[in-house]
Amino acid sequence: MTSPKLKIVSWFTQIAAAAIMGQTLYFKFTAHPDSVQLFTELGMEPHGRLIIAALELIACILLLIPSSIVYGALLGSCLMAGAIIGHITELGWEGPRLELGILAIVVLSCCITTLLVRHRELPLLKAIQTDKPTQRGPRNH
Amino acid sequence: MSTKLAINLHKLARFTNTAIPIFTLLFFIAGWQISFYFHFITVPMLGLTLVNCYYLFAQRNHSLLRNFGILGQGRYILESLGPELRQYLYSGDTEERPFNRTERAEVYRKANNIDSASSFGSQNDFDATEIKLRHSLFPISKERLLPYQLTFGEERGIQNTYTLTVPFIISGMSYGALGKQAVRSLARGIAQTGGLMNTGEGGYPKYHLMENCDLAFQIGTAKFGVRHEDGTLDEQRLAALAAKEQIKLIELKLSQGAKPGKGGMLPKEKITAEISELRGVPMGRDVVSPTHHPECEDYPSAVAFIRRIQEVSQIPVGIKLCVGDPRQFAELIAEMKRQDSFPDWITIDGAEGGTGAAPKAFIDRVGMPLFPALKLAQDILVSAGVRQRLKLVASGKLINPGSQIIAFCLGADAIATARGFMLSIGCIQAMQCGSNTCPVGITSHNPRLERGIDIADKALRVANYIHSLEHDLDELLCATGVRCVRELSFEHLYVPLESALYPFTHRN
Ligand SMILES: Cc1cc2nc3c(=O)[nH]c(=O)nc-3n(C[C@H](O)[C@H](O)[C@H](O)COP(=O)(O)O)c2cc1C
Repeated sequence: MTSPKLKIVSWFTQIAAAAIMGQTLYFKFTAHPDSVQLFTELGMEPHGRLIIAALELIACILLLIPSSIVYGALLGSCLMAGAIIGHITELGWEGPRLELGILAIVVLSCCITTLLVRHRELPLLKAIQTDKPTQRGPRNH
Repeated sequence: MSTKLAINLHKLARFTNTAIPIFTLLFFIAGWQISFYFHFITVPMLGLTLVNCYYLFAQRNHSLLRNFGILGQGRYILESLGPELRQYLYSGDTEERPFNRTERAEVYRKANNIDSASSFGSQNDFDATEIKLRHSLFPISKERLLPYQLTFGEERGIQNTYTLTVPFIISGMSYGALGKQAVRSLARGIAQTGGLMNTGEGGYPKYHLMENCDLAFQIGTAKFGVRHEDGTLDEQRLAALAAKEQIKLIELKLSQGAKPGKGGMLPKEKITAEISELRGVPMGRDVVSPTHHPECEDYPSAVAFIRRIQEVSQIPVGIKLCVGDPRQFAELIAEMKRQDSFPDWITIDGAEGGTGAAPKAFIDRVGMPLFPALKLAQDILVSAGVRQRLKLVASGKLINPGSQIIAFCLGADAIATARGFMLSIGCIQAMQCGSNTCPVGITSHNPRLERGIDIADKALRVANYIHSLEHDLDELLCATGVRCVRELSFEHLYVPLESALYPFTHRN
């Protein structure tokens, strides 16, 4: 079982990830000029921006519903990995971009921490999630 | 190295392990040079690459994953889906264990009060092992049947006898093994038929008592509910329980078919605060009952202990056991005769019996199956000349009329079944009784799973199941040309060569 302490850690990282992702959504959905500028550089205006925003919204929601946390964390880490690739290949790290890039890295770490804590909840992986074999002592009478 | 499969899985795995990082790189380049949209694929591929590296190089728990990476995972996925796939798709109607689909379906239909007529023919393997009932050339009509009645305690001439009018007893299942909703459904259903329910060895039967049904209180080897600190019998608490209006009988469990020679087990997942209180056991630890009653060390002490319970409780007292060595059973009966002191009934539990939790070796390999054990017990009692001193109850997969009538022919006076009644309230044989995850909430204490059980609806099914069993029993009796189960005998059975009962056919 996941220990209660680790679960608290996971809730912190989940909420942090959802909060950081969530506050950028408004700019994406309302087509804020900065956001439009970013996605134009990536060649994804306007559909890509909306798709990404929608996926981020879904990730935020999944991260907060107890039975779907790991799925939210998976989706979130994929999106953030994409964002980081964007910074590496197209957007760069100058000025305000640095802040955005760092936020993406923070969210990615939060999602990955969540996944690590809750790896037992991942589907399919179930079969191999047995813990390390523990040693069984000799017979005691 | 080659495998016999058309696809060489070793090569395929090697190919996959190389292909994954290469494709990741290709998609990355495409996303970079052509369109950022390619990164929708790059990112999951990147994840796959990382997981694969972890499987191949980091983890050490699973050799298969270490050798073949992500493709090896396929085996675990398929294997984990296996039980469901087999149950839903691939296993034949007469293949599954412990109960195959036709057997389960019969119980479901009876519980739903749907006609259980089948068409075209039997699906059973006819020639080999199936025991058959020998019907009479001159069946009788229903009016000539005698009503079923079995009075426990009449042999001893005690005041508080108990007369059973329904031959199908709900076999012992404790609150603990079952959740409270299930216990109450069974109790309410049996109350509607006037039948008898056994409490199982779960201590004070709080939920069993709620629905006003007749109860047999069971004393297991841990004596939950009636124990002193040192595990011996607390006579005062026993007397207090026996004095309860609803508790009609006491059953002393010596052993149980699923785990003879081993005490009951309740896994820690299922020990809630309430259960720990009712049983007087700590939480967070598996509870394993002792292998035997400290009072029963040998034949004389066992018989004396039964008598002591009879004296303290003042109501009929029976024992439940699974036969191991028939000579020991014969010796026990001889000792009873010597002391002129008999239990009011003996429940013979077959090794095929069910359980909430028991070690696999015990479930599979310990104890005698019901039919030969019952036949031997009957023969031993008859040849000792004491068959009329007590009643015989039989249990062990007797969930359908066809197998129940065989038990009656072998000498049983009444039938007990646990899993038959579980099926009647919706058990789907998910085989998770010990883990608190029963999908239909019968053996779970998780409120979210127990929620599935509507007591009134399930109680009706229990009553339907019993009424339908009674109906079928009556029809079988008519066909055999006898007026009650007592008139059935071994001669009414056709026993084929490969049956475990065959050796008995030539004994007399
Ligand atoms: C969930 C479950 C719990 C049981 N608990 C007890 C128990 O507390 N005491 C006991 O003597 N037998 C217990 N049994 C065994 C049954 O009473 C019965 O002897 C056995 O299952 C054979 O009957 P069946 O094949 O009709 O189920 C339990 C069986 C099941 C399936």
